[in-house]
Amino acid sequence: MARSINIAGVSLELEQRGSGRPLLFLHPGEGLQPQLEWLDLLARHFRVIAPHHPGWSNSALPDWLMTVDDLAYLYLDLAAFEALENAILLGACFGGWIAAEMAIRDTRRFAQLVLADPLGIKVGGFTERDIADMHAISREDYARLAWADPAKGERDLMRLPDTELAGIARGREAFARFGWKPYMHNPRLRHWLHRIDLPTLLLWGEQDGIVSTTYGQAWQAEIRAAQMQVIPHAGHFPHWEQPKDFVDRLVRFVESN
Amino acid sequence: MRCWYFSEMAYHPAWEAGLARGTLRVVLPSSNFDPPTAHGLLNRYLDEFALCDEVGLDIMVNEHHSTATCMTVSVPMALAIIARETKRARLLSLGTPIANRPDPVRVAEEMAWLDVLSGGRLEMGLVKGAPYEIQPANSNPATLMRRYWEAHDLILKAMSTHDGPFNWEGEFFHYRSVNIWPKPIQKPAPPVWMTGMSVDTGKLAAERGHVVGTLLSGGTAKPMYDAYRQRARELGWDAGPDRMAFAAVVGVGATREEGLRRADQIADYVRTAPVVAEPFTNPPGYNSIGANVAIMKAGPRAHRIVKDRQGNSIDHRRATVQQFMDTDTVFAGTPDEVFQQIRDFSIRMGGIGHLLFFGQGGHLGHEDATENIKLFGREVAPRLRDLSVEPASAAAE
Repeated sequence: MARSINIAGVSLELEQRGSGRPLLFLHPGEGLQPQLEWLDLLARHFRVIAPHHPGWSNSALPDWLMTVDDLAYLYLDLAAFEALENAILLGACFGGWIAAEMAIRDTRRFAQLVLADPLGIKVGGFTERDIADMHAISREDYARLAWADPAKGERDLMRLPDTELAGIARGREAFARFGWKPYMHNPRLRHWLHRIDLPTLLLWGEQDGIVSTTYGQAWQAEIRAAQMQVIPHAGHFPHWEQPKDFVDRLVRFVESN
Repeated sequence: MRCWYFSEMAYHPAWEAGLARGTLRVVLPSSNFDPPTAHGLLNRYLDEFALCDEVGLDIMVNEHHSTATCMTVSVPMALAIIARETKRARLLSLGTPIANRPDPVRVAEEMAWLDVLSGGRLEMGLVKGAPYEIQPANSNPATLMRRYWEAHDLILKAMSTHDGPFNWEGEFFHYRSVNIWPKPIQKPAPPVWMTGMSVDTGKLAAERGHVVGTLLSGGTAKPMYDAYRQRARELGWDAGPDRMAFAAVVGVGATREEGLRRADQIADYVRTAPVVAEPFTNPPGYNSIGANVAIMKAGPRAHRIVKDRQGNSIDHRRATVQQFMDTDTVFAGTPDEVFQQIRDFSIRMGGIGHLLFFGQGGHLGHEDATENIKLFGREVAPRLRDLSVEPASAAAE
């Protein structure tokens, strides 16, 4: 069920489902989409805590909150507020970037880290794009890059109620605030990934055209205890596109580490 | 009413390539640009600006980036030349896209320098900029208006502070010693203009007493002017026509046919300007949440449609000159006809004090452009200038 809490003066809306070990899920730039299958599948195994990031859906976005650093501290505060112990930290896409920024700072409340197709680091040269410019291509081209089966990503916006459309518009604006420049990465993050002292699983959609599996290998090379698994028939959002495979792999990793 | 001649200094030889590609902006490669051809065009356009001074017109310059529609990349650079080539014309920068500029103090310096160079003839537009300017500038659209207002306040403070350095530790801009030299001739600063198309812009401009300008559609302009006047009344003052500006294509000829032909050619500017690749038309945060909800509900192809005076939808990319006249985008005909059209328009708007005259749209040749400027400057503008003595209340029906 959805609830609202106040962390560091920021009113956050969050979903909580299931019981068992706590799992903090940080959502992609596209939003949480709690109505999709992935969340209930995860909730069969874990107590899933999934905030809407500040600026997405009904979570507040104060003017001062400007960077992914701020989000990392906000969610470390959330983990303390919820008294999480031995928790799993899971971030997808933009949420993976936030999770990595948390994990280089403080991992006391977490036992494992799972990053699904994360944004956030710079690998290539000045004129190489590690991360597709999602804001410079048509919605159709974006769907082709982000999904193995673009039809699965289609949403008929014209049929949604105004409140939901407003949530989408807010989320798009917030995603730009945090990720516009430098584009969807922190130039320094890669140099601190060695600080991550958790067993780490990188899950990657095989057909991800936003950040490729090669980019995933660069993440793997920087994190000491990282393994990488590639999910077939999935693009940038494997938890949406192949939720069963995604959750199975995550559960196996959690149980064996 | 003051009349300001305006040309984007188009690079029209690349328009066909841009139309074929579906965008004239942002992603049209400069392989479509021939520098020797542009050398001739830029010098010709500057000659046309200089002519305005001889026939008694004021002058406006704007800037765009990465586009075949406009070669002016820097308003101060163009106005520096025009200031030297003119003696009487007031010079309107409309303007500097201050939320896309990393250094507002540099903007204040350049504007002050222009005011000094021109002998106090500068009018200073501080503009938000079009949505497709975000990508070339790579400025963050989600914080655009916060940056705009911080830059606006800093620029005006920098121009009007004369007792030594001040510091600025803002959200977006940081300076330890702001102390600009030269300072402007006009005190406390040259007149400030804003541009927009919304009621909110009208209110915000009224709160500062700035001139507000809009373009191309009377249907959009009227609510903005009304909002300005109402907000001014709420704040205890009456906003006269001198606070309202409107940009339109104007074609004047010895005959009606000649005026319409010239307007039709200039209107190619209006037809090409909206041809922009879809991702750059609405960057996230550029428009309000409410406007974005409306855009999502309307579907992706609804932009660039305006209503004519009968309420019909007109697509600017394909409109005829007559349709443009019905949306108040174009005024055209003989000097008498053009005067009547603009006067009637001003009355319908409740009184406007500035006409920004699009007099060059690419394919209009130099001879036609200069004839258009001369006829407008000598036959139309003097009669419009006398309109400015009418108070807004008398002009409103």
